[in-house]
Amino acid sequence: MPDAIRRVFARQKWMAIAVATIVLAGILTAVSPVFLTLSNLQSILVQSSVTAIMAIGMTFIILTAGIDISVGAILFFTSALFAQLMIDTESYLIAFSAAMTCATGLGALNGVLVVKFRISPLITTLATYSIYRGAAIHLTGAQNIPVPREMGFLGNGKIFSIPVPILILIAVFVIGVYAFTRTRFGVYTRAIGNSARSATESNLPVNRVTIAVYAASGFVTGIAALILLARVGGLQSGIGIGIEFTVIAAVILGGTKLTGGSGTVTGSVIGAVFLVLIDNGLNLMNASPYIYDIVRGSVLLAAVAVDRISAVRQQKAVEAARAARIQGAAIPG
Amino acid sequence: MKSTLASLKTYPAIPIIAALAVAFSLFSPYFMTSGNIEAMLGANAVVLIAAIGMTFVFLIGGIDLSISTVISVSAVVAGIVMAQTNSVPLGLVTAVAVGMVFGAVNGILIGYFKLTPFITTMATQLIARGIAFVLSQGIAVKGTPFWVLDFGFMSWMGIPAVTMVGLVLVLVSVFALGKTTWGRQVMLVGSNPNSARYAGINVSFIEFSVYLVAGVLAGVAGFISIANLGNAIPGVGDTLLLIIIGAVVLGGTAMTGGEGSIERTVLGVMLLAILTNGLNLVGIPFYDQLIIQGILIFFGTWLAMKFSGQRAV
Repeated sequence: MPDAIRRVFARQKWMAIAVATIVLAGILTAVSPVFLTLSNLQSILVQSSVTAIMAIGMTFIILTAGIDISVGAILFFTSALFAQLMIDTESYLIAFSAAMTCATGLGALNGVLVVKFRISPLITTLATYSIYRGAAIHLTGAQNIPVPREMGFLGNGKIFSIPVPILILIAVFVIGVYAFTRTRFGVYTRAIGNSARSATESNLPVNRVTIAVYAASGFVTGIAALILLARVGGLQSGIGIGIEFTVIAAVILGGTKLTGGSGTVTGSVIGAVFLVLIDNGLNLMNASPYIYDIVRGSVLLAAVAVDRISAVRQQKAVEAARAARIQGAAIPG
Repeated sequence: MKSTLASLKTYPAIPIIAALAVAFSLFSPYFMTSGNIEAMLGANAVVLIAAIGMTFVFLIGGIDLSISTVISVSAVVAGIVMAQTNSVPLGLVTAVAVGMVFGAVNGILIGYFKLTPFITTMATQLIARGIAFVLSQGIAVKGTPFWVLDFGFMSWMGIPAVTMVGLVLVLVSVFALGKTTWGRQVMLVGSNPNSARYAGINVSFIEFSVYLVAGVLAGVAGFISIANLGNAIPGVGDTLLLIIIGAVVLGGTAMTGGEGSIERTVLGVMLLAILTNGLNLVGIPFYDQLIIQGILIFFGTWLAMKFSGQRAV
């Protein structure tokens, strides 16, 4: 029975953001005739693909009660390395493999530092954020570098009339959900987030799983970097600045708890789409781009407030049930 | 020997500061000149003032990501008010009031509604940033009164006036933390919120007041940034978050609460100030400075943790 209840709640975790997204989409449909067209919906998914892919990786990190502030810097470093190698070697094979290896490596390094030095993930990745970003600019000499035109396929191309970024997002999503629900990796991740101590005492490979989680996030960030690079058409100095907060916001909106142990991959992806829908709506209203931050911040606050209220209500219900049970037990029948 | 070790435990930043100072004075003849020291002090007044606020927040085991952009928004609003009225006191009051509003919002949500500090202040960070850019249209606010510009250049015995403001705030904060009931309650809430509650401390109020203080200090920092830069810049605080948090943890204040002091943060600010200044003098480009800064923040924090025997930061 508790298992059934838990399963319902697990579904509800992303139900909230799904309902919010549908409502917002309904409003946008009513406001604008172009909203509910295939091309607009496709472009919304394409726009959210980069943050959504990164949010899938971030979900696992946050599930372990960790955080990675450096993902924006990993995104930038990977883009820089890829663009620079394309110029230097003109080989897609070398550039691709080096970029993906590096993205995974930088993520893994975060994990190793978190595990070995026991400094909080926030401070650790704040430090590596600075290091990775500096290293990337060092690598390119602060230049903007264009990428070859055929790279655009990754960002704007279509296979069976479905945009490539959407296909990649779906692939990452399916793998993410599989890893989350069907593998030991997913179970361990949540176990660590629930209680690192009990996970250690149960002899789970806590360190290895933690490193793997950060490495996996680095890997998907590498994928996101290549999509972004393809869409933008080249390396620009502003790539990835502030994106870590958008990614974390998507995960939080999706119902994943910063305290670890509880959350879903699905929610994070819907959260990323939701954030793009907000941008889309503001864009339709011709709002100043500066207002976007205000709206995003307010939405985030509203989301955590609602979450808090429902948590308090749940706790009260549990306590009331317990009180009733104790009272019932005190009066023997 | 024992007292040396004890002071190392309390002030883990001192040996690093000494090493950096010696190294940079060997590399650059300008480093130890009074002009350079004055410039260094002036350039870091904003960080110093904001870092005091962050220290209080860390001491109760919280975090305030919004401090950086509250600096920006209070600078912008104060800049606009001063451009309209040409009144400096009104500008200062505005800056403090804006900081206070953001601090109060953070404090109410975190202290009374028990929202997670990280997400709450991440959200208010976005909101503050948005308001700063909307009000200023993304460009520097023009029309700063001349007195504020002059104030940015004033100095007394080689110490810039803006730094004086910071030092006064340091003294007040040291007093508030060490000699008042409020300060002791802050430390207790940070080291053990449950026992603080059982001891009859109003934990919610202490949390609220700490975020309020952090907001006010960010407001003052915003005003000082106008004096430093000549204009209110909407993005002025954006890049300061890493430096502010870095200074606090390098000084030896733990993020987990209950461990640390304002004095340590002053040393942490000094450390990063010397590092940036020295690397600039030696001619290291900004991107390599980012790398060095990151490495130093990481290992400095680790060292601070080792010295003071904390389990986690």
